Amino acid sequence: MELKFLVVDDSVTMRRIVANSLRNLGYDNFVEAADGKDALTKLTSDDQINFIITDWNMPVMTGLEMTKAIRGDERYVKLPILMVTTRGIKEDIVEALQAKVNNYVVKPFTPQILKEKIDQILSNL
Amino acid sequence: MSKLSNISNMAQVFDKLNDLKMLFTYGQKLIPIIKSLVDFMHETVPLLENINSSISDTTSKIPKASNQINNVTSATELATTEILDIVDSISNDITKLEGALKVHKEESEKRDEVFNEIKLMLGDSPKAKELIEKYEELNVTTRNMDELLTIFAKIRDDAYNITLSLQVQDITSQQLAAVNHLIESVHVRLSSLIIDIDDTDLQEYDSTGIEVPDDATFDPNASYDKSAERQEQVDDIINKENEQASQSEIDKLFS
Repeated sequence: MELKFLVVDDSVTMRRIVANSLRNLGYDNFVEAADGKDALTKLTSDDQINFIITDWNMPVMTGLEMTKAIRGDERYVKLPILMVTTRGIKEDIVEALQAKVNNYVVKPFTPQILKEKIDQILSNL
Repeated sequence: MSKLSNISNMAQVFDKLNDLKMLFTYGQKLIPIIKSLVDFMHETVPLLENINSSISDTTSKIPKASNQINNVTSATELATTEILDIVDSISNDITKLEGALKVHKEESEKRDEVFNEIKLMLGDSPKAKELIEKYEELNVTTRNMDELLTIFAKIRDDAYNITLSLQVQDITSQQLAAVNHLIESVHVRLSSLIIDIDDTDLQEYDSTGIEVPDDATFDPNASYDKSAERQEQVDDIINKENEQASQSEIDKLFS
């Protein structure tokens, strides 16, 4: 299966870092969004997107709100969502899991962790 | 009867006079306290005015401080983008060099194969042997290329690690946004304090000019912690939550 990633982060720097990391892992196909709302627009207009990597803290619509919106749409119930965020406290992680993210990475991340989590999600599909 | 009444009235007068005397005595004791209270007020009023003026001054400076923080965030984001551009450019150049070097290495290996065939054909001529040895001493190209390719790979890895370290920009910008949010809260409290003390026009101290970060855009606890422990803790929580979820699904099946 060819993966097309949607990288969602309000920080240009983080979007570039995640994109570079994906390229290093051999994934060249990705689009970017600056917040949850922008991501929803891109997701609904591109049916090739089959993996989302998202930040939590963003203006307009947070990553958590976006995840809930995506999971509320039956077309995207199984769409892989990886949360990459600075938020590392238990309550946040549990909240994200309850919103049905597939996995969770804390920033600053390493490429090994990113790869491990992507592989784990893909193997559980 | 009238005499007795007069005596009773006189006793009441004396009682009242006694009360009056006590009041004067009490008043005499109270005067120094009132005096010190007045002195205290004299000293305190300028102090309060000073405090009020300081609060007012501080409040007026807060928007500037807040904007400076925003400028720092913008400047670091710009600088980070420039660094990322340079690192990307270095990585691209390294990739090109690696490609060119690999082609060159393949050509050198082919050239060596041709030379080995020539060597066999030259036979036992002492002069030919001497020249072959000399050539082999000088022909270190292939060996050098392997070293160069290793160095290039290291430069590319180092450049990528610089990229990863730039995550610090996102994390510090969230910390700065949290500080800005705190500054705005202080600004609002100080402004309302001034309005209470001074009855100053609210417009003068409103938060116009401060770009207040939305709560949702930052994590006040963001930290640049590169230890593996943090992710391990996250993984532990996820595993426990998933175990609990699986167990509750099993329980549902049996209930």
